[in-house]
Amino acid sequence: MDAIEIINLYFSYNHKGVLYDINFNIKKGEFVGIIGPNGAGKSTILRIMAKILKNYEGRVNILGRDIRGIKQIDFARIVAFVPQETHFLYNYSVYDIISMGRYPYLSPFHRLKKDDIQAVDWAIEQTGLEGFKTRLINSISSGERQMAVIARALAQKPNILLLDEPTSHLDIKHQVRIMELLRALNQNGFTIVVVNHDLNLSSRYCDKLILLNQGKVYKIGTPAEVIKKDIIQDVYGIETLVIQHPGRKIPQVFFK
Amino acid sequence: MGLRNWRKYLNKVVLLVLILIAGILFELFTGPGEFTGEIMQLRILRVSLGIFAGGVLAFSGGILQGLFGNPLVEPYTLGSASGAALGASIGIVLLGYANPAFSFLGSLMVGFLVLTIARIESGLLRDRLILTGVVMSFLCSSLVMLIMIGGKRELYEIIYLLMGYLGIVFTPERRFIFLLISILSLFIMLYLYRFHREFDIISTGVETATSLGIDIQMFSIKVFILTTLLVSFIVSLVGAIGFVGLVIPHSSRMLFGPRHIKNLVGSFFLGSAFVLLADAMARNLVVYELPTGIITSLIGVPFFIYLYRFK
Amino acid sequence: MKWRFTIPILILSFLFCERSVPRQGFRVVSLSPAMTEVIFAIGGADYLVGVTTYCDYPDSAKKIYKVGDFSNPSVERILSLKPDLVIVNIPEQRRIKEQLEKYGIRTFSTSPKSIDDIYKDIINIGRILKKEEGADSLVEYMKANIRDLGRKKRKTYIEICAQPLITIGRYSYLNELIEMAGGENIFGDLEKDYPVINQEQVIMRNPDIIIVLHPEEIEGRLGWGRISAIKNKKVYKNLNQDWLMRPGPRLVLGFKELEKIFE
Repeated sequence: MDAIEIINLYFSYNHKGVLYDINFNIKKGEFVGIIGPNGAGKSTILRIMAKILKNYEGRVNILGRDIRGIKQIDFARIVAFVPQETHFLYNYSVYDIISMGRYPYLSPFHRLKKDDIQAVDWAIEQTGLEGFKTRLINSISSGERQMAVIARALAQKPNILLLDEPTSHLDIKHQVRIMELLRALNQNGFTIVVVNHDLNLSSRYCDKLILLNQGKVYKIGTPAEVIKKDIIQDVYGIETLVIQHPGRKIPQVFFK
Repeated sequence: MGLRNWRKYLNKVVLLVLILIAGILFELFTGPGEFTGEIMQLRILRVSLGIFAGGVLAFSGGILQGLFGNPLVEPYTLGSASGAALGASIGIVLLGYANPAFSFLGSLMVGFLVLTIARIESGLLRDRLILTGVVMSFLCSSLVMLIMIGGKRELYEIIYLLMGYLGIVFTPERRFIFLLISILSLFIMLYLYRFHREFDIISTGVETATSLGIDIQMFSIKVFILTTLLVSFIVSLVGAIGFVGLVIPHSSRMLFGPRHIKNLVGSFFLGSAFVLLADAMARNLVVYELPTGIITSLIGVPFFIYLYRFK
Repeated sequence: MKWRFTIPILILSFLFCERSVPRQGFRVVSLSPAMTEVIFAIGGADYLVGVTTYCDYPDSAKKIYKVGDFSNPSVERILSLKPDLVIVNIPEQRRIKEQLEKYGIRTFSTSPKSIDDIYKDIINIGRILKKEEGADSLVEYMKANIRDLGRKKRKTYIEICAQPLITIGRYSYLNELIEMAGGENIFGDLEKDYPVINQEQVIMRNPDIIIVLHPEEIEGRLGWGRISAIKNKKVYKNLNQDWLMRPGPRLVLGFKELEKIFE
């Protein structure tokens, strides 16, 4: 069975259409990038997959089941959503934030059990935040904060990770660090769906790209199939130079 | 926790307990009366009232600041205080005196109205509750002013209701009702306390909360109704004591950290202590009684700054 | 033969009868229910062109044009009557007074803190309306009926409001009234007119008589059981508020009620 199936999806907001007739599948263990211009509907579709936006038409299956039939809290054990990091209102410690990811497994008055602590520790280890556990969330850098938010999602022990522009506002060091982490997780069996602006980064790391334009699927395919000069011209309206990466067989985009 | 942290934590708890005991002692042993059985009976009632009002207000403030993820929210933002004032003024017009039942009903009805209006449009209920609440507060305040202006004498009752006042007279029935309300409130608070994790998570973001499994819509409604009930209890008994619901949760957060599991408890005790101290002052500063709410607002700021240094 | 005397008698009675030359066209607006009653009592009712909705005594006062209520009468309505004089209560209607004076309207302020103040107001308004004799006889009437009865004064607590507890202090004319009727206001030492007090103070001062001037029940208050007045059931309610709370001619009736209480 596929990890995610989107079938005949329509979505509108305030009587304005946002997504039209979306159909695609994501297989288990795939590393997929959703790309497209601003306003194309990328974040929207991610949030629908994350069961955050609910009044859509059509059907979304996760691991073969219609998500409408899954309780939110059970869903949270399968799919984890990573928003773009922001400043937090109250200054929790990094450890506190990450352990919030265990919520789907906890009962009200019980403290974190062994499993929970293990999951949190594992998430911390994966994201390299060991030395940051007691730091306050607003006192660390953006890049580290994004890592913390990813760690929180990992603590959910999900099968599928959905990330909304995790690198768009970070320096290249953190961009690479995060994408490398996602690759490592993907190799460990996680299905990863990333909404991203950066065409080159998406091309470098994703197995498959879904290009959205004006609420519709424009093209689905490997990076080589999707990132082409004429496609970019059609969708983004700008002239670019697309050449193959010197070391790897992936397309890279250059501005003219 | 490291040893140094433990010490700091213990210091703060001791400070809290000391302030609370100071508050209780002040309330019990100062005042115009001598230590006869009756006077002490009245004082004990007043202490209980203070603990109840301060604690529940601060607790509600902490809850709402967590639910709405907004540090400026306090129990009266949602309209209950103005609703109570409106109910009371209507009671004064109809009966000639301020009947707590009217305040209570007024408070509940406004809360109900706010909830109904906020649910009309689709979209994020949580955010619309605040806006609707603020608007209703303004509306009710204007109506209260209207009623006050048309009245014959200076409506002291309304002023003391709006400011908050602990010196109410008790009959055996009132005392019984107070007991019932306190027990009920305790249960409601314990029930809400159960959701300390949810408040933590919701304060970090609505989307995050949803994706972790929390049904924000239902949760908001549940919390809103229960908190409105708690606030209605307080305002109908003692009026709208200001400042406590807003600043005490912040102070508690400064002392005990933002996690609600500690913050809510800290808020309760800090709020009680604060109101007791303020009331002791309100009773003894001048020959006649000041409304407690005046003192809470006046000493609130230096109190807050003092706690800030303890951070 | 009798007829020879009628004309001189008629002329004489005209000259000596208690009717000064009326001030033609003198227009008065009264924003004080008490002063409305006073004006009626001294014979100046013809001058009244506007009153408040609370000016309900005597009955004919109800027919006079209403300019609004006590706390917020309408300046427009007052001005439309083109009054020569407006009677205002201070401090409740201070803002109205300021507004009216900006329009050049003459005002008469009343804020009696004692019985003497009330008499002064009556005399003064009598002078303005040229009803001096009416004013004099009213004051005489009131002085005759409201006088210190020389009784042994009994400790009294007067409650105006229950929540919060409001009583009368030294600067209310009611204080004097009570004292003259035979009561000693236990809060007569407080230097205010209507102070808010703590119930502990009432208990400590242990009044023998309690007078309740509001509609709420004071039965069964915790801690009040041993107060002398409660034990001996000397709690008086249902007094006519208008008789006591309006510093006007009917104060005499209010005083009589108090007299009975303190017998």
